[in-house]
Amino acid sequence: MKLLLAEDDSILADALAASLKASGFDVEVASNGAVAEYLLLRHDFDIGVLDLGLPLIDGLTVLKKVRAAKPELPMMVLTALDGLEQRVAGLNAGADDYLTKPFDFPELEARIRALLRRTHGAAVQLTGLLRFDREARRATVDKTPLELSPREWTLLDLLLTQRDHVVTKEQIVQGWTPDPNEQNPGSIEVYIHRLRRKLDGSKVSIRTVRGLGYLLEVEV
Amino acid sequence: MRQTSWLSWLPLRALRRVPGLTPGTRSLQRHLLLWLLLPQLVLWLAAASFTYQLADTYTNRAIDGSLSTASRALARQVKPSGSGLLIDFPRAAQDIIEADPDDRVFYMVSTPPGEFILGNSQVPPPPPIAEPRLGQPYLYDGTVHDPGGDSRREVNVRVVALYLAYGEPGKPQRMLVQVARSRASREELAQQILIDTTLPLSGLIVLMSIIVWGGIRGGLAPLARLRSVVESRAPNDLAPVRLEAAPEEVRGLARALNALLAEVRENVNTQKRFISDAAHQLRTPLAGLKSQTELALASATVGADPELRARLQRVHESATRSAHLVSQLLALARAEPEAAMAQSRTRFDLQRLAREVAAEQVPHALTAGIDLGSEDTDAAAASLCVLGNAMLIREAVVNLIDNAIRYAGRGASITVGVHGQGAQALLFVEDTGPGLPEADRERVFQRFARATHEGNGCGLGLAIVREIVERSSGSVVLEPVQPQGLRAVVRLPLVA
Repeated sequence: MKLLLAEDDSILADALAASLKASGFDVEVASNGAVAEYLLLRHDFDIGVLDLGLPLIDGLTVLKKVRAAKPELPMMVLTALDGLEQRVAGLNAGADDYLTKPFDFPELEARIRALLRRTHGAAVQLTGLLRFDREARRATVDKTPLELSPREWTLLDLLLTQRDHVVTKEQIVQGWTPDPNEQNPGSIEVYIHRLRRKLDGSKVSIRTVRGLGYLLEVEV
Repeated sequence: MRQTSWLSWLPLRALRRVPGLTPGTRSLQRHLLLWLLLPQLVLWLAAASFTYQLADTYTNRAIDGSLSTASRALARQVKPSGSGLLIDFPRAAQDIIEADPDDRVFYMVSTPPGEFILGNSQVPPPPPIAEPRLGQPYLYDGTVHDPGGDSRREVNVRVVALYLAYGEPGKPQRMLVQVARSRASREELAQQILIDTTLPLSGLIVLMSIIVWGGIRGGLAPLARLRSVVESRAPNDLAPVRLEAAPEEVRGLARALNALLAEVRENVNTQKRFISDAAHQLRTPLAGLKSQTELALASATVGADPELRARLQRVHESATRSAHLVSQLLALARAEPEAAMAQSRTRFDLQRLAREVAAEQVPHALTAGIDLGSEDTDAAAASLCVLGNAMLIREAVVNLIDNAIRYAGRGASITVGVHGQGAQALLFVEDTGPGLPEADRERVFQRFARATHEGNGCGLGLAIVREIVERSSGSVVLEPVQPQGLRAVVRLPLVA
């Protein structure tokens, strides 16, 4: 995975680059907006991580130009500003996600991975011993195929895409049917129960979050 | 050294101390009224006294004139006859002179030194004059015992004395004619004049006072308006004071007040900008510090040395705490009135917001070994909408949950819920942690006040919550939970 990190603070850039490399990314660092823009436009990256307060050309401008030229490229924005206006400006300029400094590295890594999953949705996802192939619409646990009903498939898909986030009952019923009259949250527990049984031995489990929804957990 | 006013050397100083004479802390209205009416009163007294004097002088003159005439008339009745005197004074005339009981007239004709001829012998003698001029009336005051009734009662009289010569040329003789008249009528006349002039004058004073009082009230009304405008505003409202149709002086005062307000506003804004800028500037280096320590902690060399690892762990915790403090300071700056006013208020579902925030915080809670959840609510339940800045309220809820996660301790559970209670939405965050002693439950809402030194809190979380909630016309309290735990309750007004 090729990642461009545009950050002008050398201490932060150095630490992030080292951590990201340790996590398996191929990291390129740009210390100003001009370099970041050049690299992002001329080279093929899988994801860009952009600080908004860059010298020479500010991050928002870089973001707009990249978005115009490469609408598919996932872009993650880092910023020291966290006011609502800045957040809205960043997302309007085309950022796919937004993280306020200072942050914990695991959080950044999780967000980057979630972003890659979302934009490379068709790709095969490996979680624990579960292999989830959206394109072929096939799931296996340790090479054994999983028989999943359409509702179970949608449920598992939601839990996997929103890993590290609570999936609410509303989201589940909306995923099942867009018609509000047929949305019945009463049956969710039945499907969760069945899915849990089918995921036995996959090192992936579903945690019930009281009153809120469900969360996918992976044993390590 | 204290500067002494030159006034202190003057007797004015004593005057300045008289309550009511100096504006001081007294009412300006009373002060003006006093200083406008006091001179009028003095003038009134002076005018009355002057009028009385004048009336007295004129009545005196008129009466003196009539006395002189009377004395001459009387003198004409006494005709010298040879060496004697012939008195031709008819009884009828006498009666007329003495008839009026209120205006007693006494007369006496004598030939000095002391020979009484005619009239009332009690008429007081004239003051001794060395060489009286003949035919010239001398006027003086005296008293006469009341001839009728009580003889001890004395009557004040005005007397005219007229010396006349008679007798033969070789043997000149003098005759003294005195006519006395009671002063009563004179005084009465003077008093009547006094009353006639001072009564309308008093009426004028009263009328004047009413007009002056009305004028002062009307004139000071803009001041009272300014006062009520200033009194009725919130302590953090630094917007300029608006006064319509105010006189120049009050507008000047309002302008001065507005200039001061503008300066304070500018200072407050500068300070807030500084805090905000400083916080933003601190974030990047703190992110660097955190990332570097995380990286070092992950390295094998550090992992092999437990002491180094522990020290580095402390550096990391400290950096995390500083980062948290910076974020909270920024949140506080945002929650403060100036900033909050600029942000829009919208209508939103508090229940939905609480569930969203709780869901976001679940991974954080799980890391801390805490079971975070929400009350089971059926989706069909009516929404509980409140009016406010959704972003700030979200910040408040995040802070309450974050606080519970920090202090409830591993193994505890936290429950978030929203109920409708009358016209209020009641949001609660309840934990099964160790709770908080009653003495601390109010104190922890103060900035930088912390109930415990465990956890990485900075003492701003609850201060931010209170700032935000009160800004949205709500309230927040901490309550104990039986058998164990703490519940934070936020009440916000519901909107339809």
